[in-house]
Amino acid sequence: MGFVQGSRSRNPLFSNIGILERSTQALPIERSRFGFYNAEVITEEPTSQMHLVIIGNGAAGLSALSRFRTIDKDSAVTLISAEGASAYSRVLLPYYLRRKISRENLFIRRPEDYEKLGVQTEFGIGVSRVEPESRKLTLENGRTISFDRLLIASGSRPFLPPIDGLAGSNVLHLWTLRDTERLDALFQQGRRALVLGSGFIALQAAWAARQRGLQVTVYELLPRIMPTVLDEAGAAVLQRKVEEHGVEVLTGLQTERVDRSKPGVLTVHAQDHPPREVDLIIVGAGVRPNIEFLADSPVRTDRGILIDEHMQTNVPGIYAAGDVARGPTSFGETHQTHALWPTAVEHGRIAGENMAGHRIPYQGSLNMNVTEMFGITVASMGKFIEEQGSSAHLVKNPGSSHYLKIVLRDGMPVGAVALGGAEDAVILGRLRPWIRNRRRLPEIEGFLKGRYLISRQVA
Amino acid sequence: MRIVAVDPTSCVACRNCEYACAFKQTGDFDTRASNIRVNFYPEERVCIPWTCVHCGEAWCMEICPAGAILRNPETGAVEIDANRCAGCKMCLLACPTGSIHFDKVELVSKKCDLCGGDPNCVKFCTSGALQFVEEEEAYGFRRESLDAKLKRLLNLDKRGS
Repeated sequence: MGFVQGSRSRNPLFSNIGILERSTQALPIERSRFGFYNAEVITEEPTSQMHLVIIGNGAAGLSALSRFRTIDKDSAVTLISAEGASAYSRVLLPYYLRRKISRENLFIRRPEDYEKLGVQTEFGIGVSRVEPESRKLTLENGRTISFDRLLIASGSRPFLPPIDGLAGSNVLHLWTLRDTERLDALFQQGRRALVLGSGFIALQAAWAARQRGLQVTVYELLPRIMPTVLDEAGAAVLQRKVEEHGVEVLTGLQTERVDRSKPGVLTVHAQDHPPREVDLIIVGAGVRPNIEFLADSPVRTDRGILIDEHMQTNVPGIYAAGDVARGPTSFGETHQTHALWPTAVEHGRIAGENMAGHRIPYQGSLNMNVTEMFGITVASMGKFIEEQGSSAHLVKNPGSSHYLKIVLRDGMPVGAVALGGAEDAVILGRLRPWIRNRRRLPEIEGFLKGRYLISRQVA
Repeated sequence: MRIVAVDPTSCVACRNCEYACAFKQTGDFDTRASNIRVNFYPEERVCIPWTCVHCGEAWCMEICPAGAILRNPETGAVEIDANRCAGCKMCLLACPTGSIHFDKVELVSKKCDLCGGDPNCVKFCTSGALQFVEEEEAYGFRRESLDAKLKRLLNLDKRGS
């Protein structure tokens, strides 16, 4: 055991001190709940000659890999991914479907990038079993790989609701590159698409289908769209925009069964609603963690792998990150699943540091979503329902699609919702450190105006 | 690495930096395109120019789902590759200082790139409030103005109590 002097470039706090020193305003800095990082940077044991195995080639796995390699350049690393080849970005799949970006730009790593990092890759094969006692795992083809440290970043997969007749052809998700390619082939002008669900991914799929000229209907079980990522007023603003773009939205609708008796047609039956004939169904009903291969292992799971503030599971040396993991949040919850890109990147970063021998605690995830759809920016963060705070600050222009709400608890911002222009996403970005550090905003009017006093009038 | 250091005590809110930045990028003086913005607080009689500080650990760069934000190895600037940017706006949500904005015409995110090592905002700053200096120098420079400001604030506090 000994202290390691963290270099300025890789210690997150030092970079933040950099910001503070360069500014004259009392800028909000993000800091570990446990004080200064430097005091926490303790090596556990020499890390040379170890074998790190990473399961997963997504945001969490890649973030962990690059962070690990900035600290430990010598240890052997193997990266296993059930999916095909070099990493692509899931976030970008709807943008590709909309033809906003090229297929080539979906890929965020080239094969040579793995070589440069000195990583052995096992692509296109899943893991069937992990045995922590003997420090080895078994691949689906029966091969075993031993490890000293293991990161499970196996992600999640879309959930198919148990609706009679739903499983089968022409029912798709928007989750993997393969899903996207199949959707791409089915997206032909004039076809009828039904989107089941109305979360971020479901509505992005609806938006892409609409832009490609399909007739699109959304069925949502709950009384309003975006039930988990927007508040009621925000959902109403968005629903108006969705409908303006020619997408039919039906809420409070229980889908009962899908009749496949007519060739090539899916007849969707919903409670108290006439049957609807469509050509394809896109299901966006949430995701489930990929944890089946841990079934008979001592790694503790409960709708995800339970991790501590160092991203470690209950088994020393085995870490988890990203959609598969349930870790601490900014609000003090100990085990939460976000299944969000930013959380996966942060998990990966902390896991990478800790697996390389630093002991860096995580300050906890803050849920945040942002996208552009149906012509407006839609963003939310933290706890944005009034009841979760003690007061709310609203910026709303009746009749327009601009809506911004900041929820405060005893003067401390805890969450926000923004619909409208991209400027509001910037406001949410500036709010993020205040939420994380649980600091009171001295004056919310000033916070909102400041930057925009000259260039943009805030109503 | 050299950064754009800001001395708010010298700033006169002429906004030449905003014009210079916008012009460099678009050939026009529409300051909405500017990557440097001057905050102006008339009641307190304070104006503060602010642009990206090219964080040592740039969260925007780490989070970008398109791999479109990279550090320029020559200037150290954190830059957005407009050809790779998908316009997802995650960087806008990631930046703690609000230094990234969205270009509504090109539908991509924009931020300061230090003009490749010769920032136009500094060149056209009329009061010397903006200086392009080595980080180490900037700290000394900042420390003095920060101290001056704090001293003033503390004195005000004393008078108030």
